[in-house]
Amino acid sequence: MAAPPDVGAMAPTTAETSWFCCGAGWGPCGSAGGGACGNCQSGSRHCAWPNTSDACFDITRPDRCGDNLLRRTCGHTFYVEHLCGTTEIAVQIADCGPQTDLWCGEQSCCSGNCATNRLLDLTPSAYSAIGNLSSGIMPVRIRS
Amino acid sequence: MIEWFAGAQQLVLAGVLVWAGTVKFRATAPEAARRSALRKLVGERRVVTAYRAVGTAELTLGALLLAPPMLVIESYAAVALFTGMLGYLVYAKRKAPESGCGCLGDKQTPIRGRAFARTAVLLAAALATLGAAWWPAALADRPLATVAVLVAEAALVVALSPELDHRWLLPLRRWRVRVRHPLATGPTVVPLESSVQRLQKSDAYRSVAGLLRSDLLDWWEEGEWRLLTYAATTSDGQVTAVFAVPLRDHGPADVRVALVPDPEPAPA
Amino acid sequence: MDSLGRRKFLTGAVLGTTAATVVGASTMGSFAPEAAAGQRRPLDVEAGAHDPNFIEGRITGLRKGMLMVTSSDRSMHRIHLTGATSVWKLRPTSSDAAKVGDGLYARGVRMPDGTLAADAVWLNIVNLQVHITSIGRNVMHLDHHGDRIVGHVVAGTTAAVYNSTPAVSDLSLLQVGKHAQVIGAWRPDTNEVDLATVYAAA
Repeated sequence: MAAPPDVGAMAPTTAETSWFCCGAGWGPCGSAGGGACGNCQSGSRHCAWPNTSDACFDITRPDRCGDNLLRRTCGHTFYVEHLCGTTEIAVQIADCGPQTDLWCGEQSCCSGNCATNRLLDLTPSAYSAIGNLSSGIMPVRIRS
Repeated sequence: MIEWFAGAQQLVLAGVLVWAGTVKFRATAPEAARRSALRKLVGERRVVTAYRAVGTAELTLGALLLAPPMLVIESYAAVALFTGMLGYLVYAKRKAPESGCGCLGDKQTPIRGRAFARTAVLLAAALATLGAAWWPAALADRPLATVAVLVAEAALVVALSPELDHRWLLPLRRWRVRVRHPLATGPTVVPLESSVQRLQKSDAYRSVAGLLRSDLLDWWEEGEWRLLTYAATTSDGQVTAVFAVPLRDHGPADVRVALVPDPEPAPA
Repeated sequence: MDSLGRRKFLTGAVLGTTAATVVGASTMGSFAPEAAAGQRRPLDVEAGAHDPNFIEGRITGLRKGMLMVTSSDRSMHRIHLTGATSVWKLRPTSSDAAKVGDGLYARGVRMPDGTLAADAVWLNIVNLQVHITSIGRNVMHLDHHGDRIVGHVVAGTTAAVYNSTPAVSDLSLLQVGKHAQVIGAWRPDTNEVDLATVYAAA
């Protein structure tokens, strides 16, 4: 069997994404803090990536879902668009997440296209630029 | 301190220490070590070694407490160990509040009041053993009382261990849910989210997705359909995108869409 | 046209039961993603930069059609609402639902005078990764990174999504001890949320 392709390289890949708050915030977000990179803000174009360090990888474990994610550290830029959308946004890694292994095999679809596994989390600013916050999960295409 | 009570404390401490030491040599121990606050204290490279060193100390002290004779140095060692543990918890709570303590299980649960209470109970038990005779004397003297104290204290330690909740508390709560069905009371309706999901999977939605500006504006039902509206912009100006989504599976199959120009805003 | 009349009109337009001025299908098709391929729009905001068309904060004042908001960085903003602004508060609702003290996220277009002409406003919305610690009558106790959250089930609104299957109103498959993702509406200044959607791996 061929090894799964490395995700996080130049070639686009599909994945599920959700949103998370970070930095100063109201309600349950108040305790979120600046994330693993220290500079994460809900109102900025930031994201969380499951393989920012060994300690991060130990928590998120994307390998358990068969995803071979490249190490990408704080400040790395990804380009993200909704799998059925036309707007592309740019986001910078500012935190560790999501916990991919809790949702192995989960799928989100739009108009006949589907994406599997949670490999990226976006701040509310980034998520709402390509989707609606009231939907907790959406399929996206990611390129580096 | 009553002699038999002090003897019982040796057994409680030995049991907890052997348990805690064994946990640190399981196959999952390296991962548990890296998730614990110990990583912050000693660094990523040394964390597994440090974790196992603590485990070795716990196993050794546990064995010494069980084995004859009972030396006062063993009590001092236990007091020192649990005082150190309290210090570690304070450090962890301040420096790595989301990390687990890695104490009695490999489940990662952030350090909260229960972990402090457990360590305080164990520290008190260690203090109680100072100057006591070896534990079989207590068992021979007051067997029933000793066993009762053992069971009660073991239950207290387990109750104060969030790492062990999944072994007794969660199964108990699951059983209660199975008996009472507390969430099975609501009416069976087609939730709005279900219609939104079906809409987002449709070609009709995709054909206008680039025009939509808002989240869901309004929704209502008409016969077999659920109607959903969004604000949109076309080259002709602002419009309302209205979608008709079949309400149930056995109804019409296709999602329909129309873009309807917005009425002119009333003059101010 | 009142809102009931407008609904009737829109229903007729989409189901074809009344003659309405409808923008042609060709207009829609031309905006399909395939057609847009190769003509990617330029980035609206640089990676890592603050998004000027997005506001996070709490409502400190209300005026007709306008929300006064203070962000968590203490900056103050005015958000302009129109009939074309979607407002979410546990479910899609109207701008009347906004109350002083509500937390919000808003997206729109920043006007030259500094106000945000809002396309969408989400009031008190939270998205939490939790463990279900216990389930009671119409209530779920949740552990959110060690903090306790009380989740209230709202009959007729709360939905569950199990293993990416369509959302259902039956919550009985949710299990104590399992992880879940919760979209809900925070009750300001409490640790309680009303549950909108619970995503779970059943």
